[in-house]
Amino acid sequence: MKKIILLTVLLLSFTANAVSRDLFEQVIIANVEQSINSARGISDSIEKNKIKQAQVLFTQLIVNWKKVQATYVLGDLNEDFLDTPRYIDIFHGNNEDIKTQLDLIISVTDDVEYALYKHSHKTINALEYLLFTQDFTNDRIKAMALIMTKSIQSYLNQIKTAYQKYRVKFIQDEQFSSAILLNTLVSGTYALKEWRIGDVAGMSKKHKGEADASRGEYALSKNSVAAILAILQAHKQVIDSPKYKDFGDIAIKFGATQEINKTIGYLNQAINQVMQMQEQDLSDAKGKDLYKSTSQLMQSYYSSLMNKLGFVSQVLDADGD
Amino acid sequence: MLMEINPLEYLIDPHRRIYWIFLLTSIVVAAIFLWLNPSRRRLNLSKKLWLHPSALLDYKYFIFISIFKVLVIIPVLIGAQEVALWVNNFLLEQYGFNQTTKLSYTQIMVFFTLSLFVLSDFSRYWLHRFLHTVPWLWAFHKTHHSAKVLNPLTFYRVHPVESLLFGLRYSLVIGLVSGVFIYNFGAMLNIIDILGVNVLSFIFSLAASNLRHSHIDIGFGCAIERFLISPKQHQIHHCVQHINVNFGGFLAIWDWLFNSLVLSKDVNKLKFGIEKNEMKYFKRFSQLIFYPFYSLFKSK
Repeated sequence: MKKIILLTVLLLSFTANAVSRDLFEQVIIANVEQSINSARGISDSIEKNKIKQAQVLFTQLIVNWKKVQATYVLGDLNEDFLDTPRYIDIFHGNNEDIKTQLDLIISVTDDVEYALYKHSHKTINALEYLLFTQDFTNDRIKAMALIMTKSIQSYLNQIKTAYQKYRVKFIQDEQFSSAILLNTLVSGTYALKEWRIGDVAGMSKKHKGEADASRGEYALSKNSVAAILAILQAHKQVIDSPKYKDFGDIAIKFGATQEINKTIGYLNQAINQVMQMQEQDLSDAKGKDLYKSTSQLMQSYYSSLMNKLGFVSQVLDADGD
Repeated sequence: MLMEINPLEYLIDPHRRIYWIFLLTSIVVAAIFLWLNPSRRRLNLSKKLWLHPSALLDYKYFIFISIFKVLVIIPVLIGAQEVALWVNNFLLEQYGFNQTTKLSYTQIMVFFTLSLFVLSDFSRYWLHRFLHTVPWLWAFHKTHHSAKVLNPLTFYRVHPVESLLFGLRYSLVIGLVSGVFIYNFGAMLNIIDILGVNVLSFIFSLAASNLRHSHIDIGFGCAIERFLISPKQHQIHHCVQHINVNFGGFLAIWDWLFNSLVLSKDVNKLKFGIEKNEMKYFKRFSQLIFYPFYSLFKSK
């Protein structure tokens, strides 16, 4: 009996490590690499003055970057990388009005490199402003956009290099890696529900009853819905992938079939809703429905998390003396 | 479910006071004590003690309460998980999303394990104290104190109403602590455990906890007894003359802080039970269950 238990534990820990490895290579690293490729593509297109192509590739960058952000655990592996995503994307991380600042930079004649001195001036959000509102026949704007794409590429490369450095740490300590990944999914779901959906649909506490499409994450390029879909798809990569064993499979192995199936159900429901949405739907009834689905998804993540704690089993006789 | 309603399961479940390892450590300590104190062997090894009517009632009652808990008490209790979920949702609603990244995984584990243990013990102290000081609660708690002789199964001689209250206390406290921790640390939460039991509860249970309900009157010495409840201190609590002292579960700090601490050295003679005129109402199994209700009804 003891041997069987030991073998089962060994087998499960081996499977768990295999899951961490698959996830690391096929989700975390693969998504970063695709983001780098998208950023490089934008850079090439701008250099060749193919702005329409750059705009298409920008959507691709958003989709790939949102997947990186949705599973970003590098800050937990090394806290020096906690803020790196903010150097790429300032949505809800920065209150400054970069549009006014960028307009000012465009209108002056200072050296472009020098003028774009802030991190926020070189983010995806800044690039979106240029790509979708400015005239690229202006060489200064083109130069600014190239600096931005290079900065984005550089930070993405830093992320990739750092991930590879901490690969062993992530794969070896399965308990830790599943905890940081679950935390990222939970915090990402909150940001998704409250900021990306709730603020636009008028469902969040801050903007209750005041729907406004312009609050969408990528309202200028009309990529907000694509970003939401990408985030949800990243969650699916972690808990419900048909291609490899994921954390959903592990949860089922440990007997949490009901909880994980519920979570996957809410996730699929949200994905189906987003797939039938256009950008303008975010601020109407469809947005409100999506807010409810993502709220259920978040609750479900919390239930799985609490199930992991095993409340009932960890108490010694609750009676007194 | 069948496993759960098997009273023998208590011996192989590390979450139980009478888990075989906890019993074994208590037996070893008791054996050493008796070897060093030959005069105490006669009483502690006598049939008179182990087959005393009060002890026989404990054994019978243990079988009843272990089944009753599974069939009646647990299903009606709100779970700690529900409380934790509610607390977490409340905090999210009030203060928005927050996750602290300043502490390491290990630091959070230590902090969580310690918080669960300390706050659980603190709430046990106060509920136990209320069971003595609030008249209608005392009516139910008398079931436990009506034991004339003590043995490890006396721990389970608890009225169902009291079991319900302790279950509720557990759900509220563990749920509250867990909800606050989940809000702050999310999935970076785990408990340091031995065989699935909070490491601190396990260690203290290992330290002869089963001798609290026995006639092995071991004290820990004045210095330690201000921090940890010794078997003798709990036996003092079972004495008619000292019934309103030493309410502590594992820790004696609460008794010390709230002026209900009595040290082993201060009491020599131990006579267990409640007032003589009331003992007669707790002699039969049915009386242990129904007399508290009857006495409350009568007093109105």
